[in-house]
Amino acid sequence: MKLLRLSAAGFARSVQATLAFRVNLLFDVGLSIIGMVASLATVFIVYARTDSLAGWTEAETYVLIGTFQVLSSLKSTFIDPNLAWFPDNGIRRGMLDTFMLQPAPTLYLASLGKSTPLSLVQSVLGLGVIAFGLTELPAPAAIVAWLVTLAAALTVTWAMGVLLACLAFWAPRLQLEVFYSSAWQLGGYPTDIYRRPLRLVLTYLLPLTLIATVPTSTLLDGPRVLVLVSTVVGAGVSCSLAVVCWRLGLRRYTGATS
Amino acid sequence: MSRLLLLIALRIRREVLEWSGTWWFLLTLTIQAAVGPLIGMFVWSAVYPADPYVATYYVALLLVTVMTESFEQHTFSEKLYDGTISHDLLRPQPVVVDVIGANLAIRIWMTVMGIPLALLAGVAFGVSLTWVSVVAAVPVLVLGAVLRFCFVFLLSMAAFWTERVHAIAGFGWTLTSLLGGTIAPLAFLPGPLREIGQVLPFYGMLGLPADIVAGRTEGLLSGLAYQAAWITAFAGLAVWLWRAGIRRYTVVGA
Repeated sequence: MKLLRLSAAGFARSVQATLAFRVNLLFDVGLSIIGMVASLATVFIVYARTDSLAGWTEAETYVLIGTFQVLSSLKSTFIDPNLAWFPDNGIRRGMLDTFMLQPAPTLYLASLGKSTPLSLVQSVLGLGVIAFGLTELPAPAAIVAWLVTLAAALTVTWAMGVLLACLAFWAPRLQLEVFYSSAWQLGGYPTDIYRRPLRLVLTYLLPLTLIATVPTSTLLDGPRVLVLVSTVVGAGVSCSLAVVCWRLGLRRYTGATS
Repeated sequence: MSRLLLLIALRIRREVLEWSGTWWFLLTLTIQAAVGPLIGMFVWSAVYPADPYVATYYVALLLVTVMTESFEQHTFSEKLYDGTISHDLLRPQPVVVDVIGANLAIRIWMTVMGIPLALLAGVAFGVSLTWVSVVAAVPVLVLGAVLRFCFVFLLSMAAFWTERVHAIAGFGWTLTSLLGGTIAPLAFLPGPLREIGQVLPFYGMLGLPADIVAGRTEGLLSGLAYQAAWITAFAGLAVWLWRAGIRRYTVVGA
């Protein structure tokens, strides 16, 4: 509860800071719209040439793109401002020392302490694209299951970010977050388009299949117990792994500032 | 002219040596640049699994992308923001010498790192190139690289007027991806979009060299003329913007 209050206070402060620069706000909103139009144009261009992309129809792909945009937006809002460049800022420049002196869990401060509310604009646009792609209103159970898989995907995204950041405790010069961001782009397309070795990596090693494809399939085809259970269990396991690795890393950390 | 070339060559040498210490960062830049063409290759290979043009085009595009990447919104605009361009203004050489030097040094490193990636993708997708098309693509690639630099440098000069230069560069990147041939080869775009793409400069930066490598050499001469026309327009605009921007530029401190 304390963390929720802390998050709400931090988020409100970030909103105030964002609204103070209105021209920048308008600029970024415009850019988000352009980015979304470009994503939709991609789908439009592909489906001008084919009726099905790896078994996905045009409408289904719009739902996939929308779901991916919602997740990307949540990642950009709550995860990226904290974990981007963590090895450099957190470990090598000693920002972690400051977190350790504050009366809140270090993992929370380092991975979720800051937010960029402006990135949520992308979520609104993503929801619009999902509504555009849906040919009929999904059943309430499908919507609930979609939200559950979305939450699980976000948890896995956070856990992956933390795990990559944890590597900096052992190898401070290793900056793998950019690779993760690049690999993240692959999650915006049906996983079936990728050939076998890469598809296996995207499913099991970097579970980008879970990121957008599983929530989209759940919304379109309805909930499947096995998928839901494995998604939630996968999120729980990755979350626990991230917490354990963080604690192990912290034990090794010796500080960078005096 | 020869003094200018010598200055650029010296700057490239210095920048190549400086950047050699940050090979990990350069690798991340290369991977980032390669993701767009790789996604395009997977998407269009799923649509046209039997067409060898798709894989050849995208392997060539991957290489063209890493060889022509430009980051003037970082190497130039940041100097405007933190005021360090004042030092460059006091030196007896044009400011653009350092910008070009940094650009070419980064491109050299990215090319070195991008070639194995392109080879890997080429082997995985069974791509075969002909020497004729590769040689024919060299002048188009050179002009494409100049064109892309001019475009990004133009956008970067927006830093004289706004703090949002990274957003403007992002917008330019979106346009380049959409109409330059990354999202889809120009030939695959729907009619009106294809006609717009043929006129705008973005195709000349990425898609045209890749198309020539993929064997579509029929538009080589007209392509060179189209690239040269856009370079002239961008270079003229850059000179005008530089003069207007530098009059506006102020800095505080010693």
